[in-house]
This record gives sequence, C-alpha cells and structure tokens, in this order.
Amino acid sequence: MLKQEQNDRLTQTGPGTPGGRLFRSYWIPALLAEELPENDCPPVRVKLLSERLIAFRDSQGRLGLMDEFCAHRGVSLWFGRNEEGGLRCPYHGWKYDHTGQCIEVPSEPAESGFCAKIKLKSYPLIERGGVLWTYMGPPEKQPPLPEWEFALVPAAQRFMSKRIQECNWLQAMEGGIDSSHVSFLHRGELNTDPLFRGARGNQYNLRDARPVFEVVESAGGLHIGVRRDAENGNYYWRITQWVMPSFTMIPPRGNHAIHGHFWIPIDDDNCWTWSYDYHPTRALTEEELAAMRAGKGVHVKYVPGTFRPLANKDNDYLIDRAAQKAGRSYSGVEGIAMQDASLQESMGPIVDRTKENLVSTDNGIIMARHRLLRAIKALEDKDAVPPGVDLVHQRVRSAAVILPADRPFMEAAREAMTVREGTAHASV
Amino acid sequence: MQSESARAASRAEARFRIDAPNSRRRAVKVIALDRDSERIVERLARASWAGAAFLTANAGAPAREKRFSMSGWLADLAGHAKDLVDEIDSADQVVMIATAGGNLEAASIIGEACSLKQVMTTALILSPASTADAALSRSLAQLRPWALMLVIASDEDYIADMLAALRA
Repeated sequence: MLKQEQNDRLTQTGPGTPGGRLFRSYWIPALLAEELPENDCPPVRVKLLSERLIAFRDSQGRLGLMDEFCAHRGVSLWFGRNEEGGLRCPYHGWKYDHTGQCIEVPSEPAESGFCAKIKLKSYPLIERGGVLWTYMGPPEKQPPLPEWEFALVPAAQRFMSKRIQECNWLQAMEGGIDSSHVSFLHRGELNTDPLFRGARGNQYNLRDARPVFEVVESAGGLHIGVRRDAENGNYYWRITQWVMPSFTMIPPRGNHAIHGHFWIPIDDDNCWTWSYDYHPTRALTEEELAAMRAGKGVHVKYVPGTFRPLANKDNDYLIDRAAQKAGRSYSGVEGIAMQDASLQESMGPIVDRTKENLVSTDNGIIMARHRLLRAIKALEDKDAVPPGVDLVHQRVRSAAVILPADRPFMEAAREAMTVREGTAHASV
Repeated sequence: MQSESARAASRAEARFRIDAPNSRRRAVKVIALDRDSERIVERLARASWAGAAFLTANAGAPAREKRFSMSGWLADLAGHAKDLVDEIDSADQVVMIATAGGNLEAASIIGEACSLKQVMTTALILSPASTADAALSRSLAQLRPWALMLVIASDEDYIADMLAALRA
C-alpha cells in the first residue's frame, strides 16, 4: 500500500515532476536503431516522459531528437522533408539541424540572422547495441554512455524488441521483479516455449510452488533471490537483478539466452516495454532468432506495421477460455509477455496503490518503491546522483545456480552476478 | 465497438470502482531479536499503526528457567513478559527485526513456533555498508531457516515503509 502522494511521485514522469526528474538522470532507450535505418530516412515520432519529440537521421548520419513541432506555426515535423543536413517543415520551409537549431527561414533574408534566434528543444541521441539512447536531463549532468552487457556484446549475440504497453510504467515494471507469479501465470510456458524449455531448472520451478525469498539491496538497485528445493539438500536459486530506475534481468534457463526489460514511460498512462535477449559468449542461433521474431519468450507478435501487440485490449487479448479450462494455458492469453501485460493493463492506466493488500512475498516491490522514493528525495534535497547512473551498477547479471543450503547466495553467487567478459552466464 | 477489456481499463471506468475497504485489519507482530533492533522497534512503535504489536525477544530468559517455558521468550516494550504461543496464535504475520552481528538465537524459537502455527515469517536484517561480511553471514545463517522472506536492508527507514505497505 502507498499513500496517494507517494503513488503520484512514482508514477508521474512528465517535465517538472519529481519522478520525471529521476528518469531524466539516465540514458534511456528511445528507439530501435532500425527505426532510423539510413541517412535522410523518414523522421519518426517519439513520445517519452510525456514530451512529444521527433527523431531523424540527417544526410551525414547525425542523429537528432527534438521538439516535434515547428517553431513557426506548430506543424508536426513528422511531415517534414529530411534533406541536405536537416529536417525541413513542409509548410513554409523552415529547416532544423540535428540539434534543433533552425538553419533556414526562407521568408527572411539570410543576412538578417533571424534563424539563429530559433531553436527547438533537443536531446542527445546516440546509437549503442542496436538501440538509440537519449538523455533528457540537464546537459551539464549528462552521465557516461550506458554499458549494459546486452548493448556491448556483438550484434549477432543479441536480439532487441519493444512494444507499447497501455498502462503506467511502474505497474509494468513491478511485474518484472515479482518472482512469485511465475509459478502460476507462466507455468504452462516453461515446458513449451522454445526459449525456455529443456532447462533442468524448470522442473524445480514447477515442483515447488512455495519458494523462499531473499531481497538484498545492491549498489544500483536490488538482488532478488528466490530459492527452491533441489536434490541432496541443496537449493536452486534464481537471482533477478533490478537496477534503477527500470532495468530488470530475469534469471536464465539452461543454455538459453538471458533476457530482461526496460520500462520507459511514454506518458503517465503508457510505457514502452523494451525486451532484450543476449548470450554473453555465442551468437544466437537461427532457431532462437526465428522464435524471438515470432513473439516467443519475452517478445510479442505485432499488429503489422506497429509496435502494438497483436493481442491487445481491443481484442480482449485474444483470450482462449477453452484453453484455460482445458489447462493448456493458465490465463488463456498466449505468450509470457502478453500474459503479464494483459493483467497489468487490466489494473487501469495507473493502479490505485492505496487499495492494494501486499504480502511479505511482495518485499521486492516494496523495497523497489522505497529506493525509488529515496532517490527522488535525495535528488530534490541534495541533487544527489541516483543509483544506476554509475556504470559499475550496470555491470550485473542475473543467475540461476544450485548452492549448498548453508551458503548465502550473496557470497556464493557473487561472481555469477557480475559481468565477466568472455564467460557464459551461470544457469541451470 | 470497443472491446470489454478496452472499456474496462479506461480512466473513465475507474470512477466506478467500488470504494469500500477490501481487507480487515491484520495482526502483525514485530519482534526485535537483539539489543540494537530493540531501539529501532521502540522508535517504530511511537508511530501510529493499524494492527502492529511491537515486542522484544529475550534470548537469555529461558536459560534462567529451570523448566522450559514459552512465557519468557517475549516481552512488550514496557518489559512485561508475553507468552510466545499466545502471541503467535493471534498473529497473521510475524516480522523479526535484527541487526547484523547481533545475538539472534531467539529466531529459531520464534521461527519454530510460527512454523507449527503456520504463520508467515519475514525477517529483516539491517546491515549498514560498514558491516563486516562475516558478521552478516553469521546473522543470516541464524535467520535463514526461519524466514520465508528475508530482507537485507541498509537503512532503518525501510522497516517503517515495509510495515506501512503491509498495512501493519
């Protein structure tokens, strides 16, 4: 349970809000690199943190992310002509470079210098790991470029996707650190999804529906350990990573790729769910890539030509009541991603946390909220750099390991929870 | 036509959600296991809570008894002895508070009683950044068998937030 005021601080991320200031401390994913595939390609509308922006790649390959609307009469620059080093408004020909600086106002004499006085708000946009990242905070506080492991491995070892989720970012993200729902909502997928099946660890999951939890603060966020009984008195541990504000990494299964998410606010009622899969030491196989493109694992099938999931609230998520009744699917919704999203969207645009009844297995969620609120306050009071900005905080891995009963996972799996270049992830 | 899910998830429909309590008061017993956590629990108890009772574990008491008794293990903050079984019997949840490196012997007795009575146990261990790894490990080893949820937190404020979140 939260007070309404706390819920507002966490869920509102527009300009000038405390939560918005927190998100504006980080590099966040803005677009897939493939959305701006070549120089002078069509511009793309982007809404992030309740700001409407336009992204483009100019004639020299420079990336721009700026106010969507022309400073002249407010026309959307989505209609703009991306040509000769800038984006030109088709209405009266005003032209902007990749920094938002107006470089041409055809109706004014060039000598007047009028265009130098016109500049759209813009943000840096850089490419790394198949993603275009932006930083929307004060320029003087721009942090070093992100160093998440998935973004640094060779392209052949990685697959990225994103989808629109029609609810606030926080209730979506909280699903990512709520380990106790897997044994219910996703139980049908562990043995059937091609990106999960075959792992020995799946059987521990399915056998033990009452796991024991350990939540440990890390420098950048949380380690969330869940243990289940394994053979010979040992424990099977699954360790999820959460790094502030909204990065999660799900524990791996067998030799499958590691996957996880970023949840990035579009506005207060919608967010982007970014999903990554990567393997630290090998290229993804054609079969794996085909499954990811087909919406398996943490990915989804799309409404063609969009990033909206094919199963969405407008078609009742294509729920199959017969499959649910017959036990072929626990929720009746197909696929792990939409099983989560359908329930999270059903809570409404922003869930009313004053009404909820949390239990002790929700301590991961409680602690995440506590840390977010603490970081927001420290930003307000002391201008403190929040956890997750430091690159060391980003060098984490999730892990699935078998440990003797008397070994704390924080000690015994310390190495497994850290990026070790050239070494595979710890998985069962 | 709008689907049922689209309509039901809209902001407009949120106005029609039932505005009535959806839970009854929970009895949460918050038990300090060591001296340092006693001071924390005393501070917590000064706030206003819905259904939390604050207790201390007196690990040394039964050793002084000639016969084993459940009465010496717990006390309220005024120092009055409380019967462990009675307290667990009337609890929906037990939260054990500990500090890394403290004497946490009482965890096993309380944990066993909770296990017998099928009461959910959470253990929260405060471990400031300066805590030695060995001290933390020892404390964790004492708590782990008896906690279905174990939380390692760096600051005391978390306990109040957790109790509020649990409607304690």
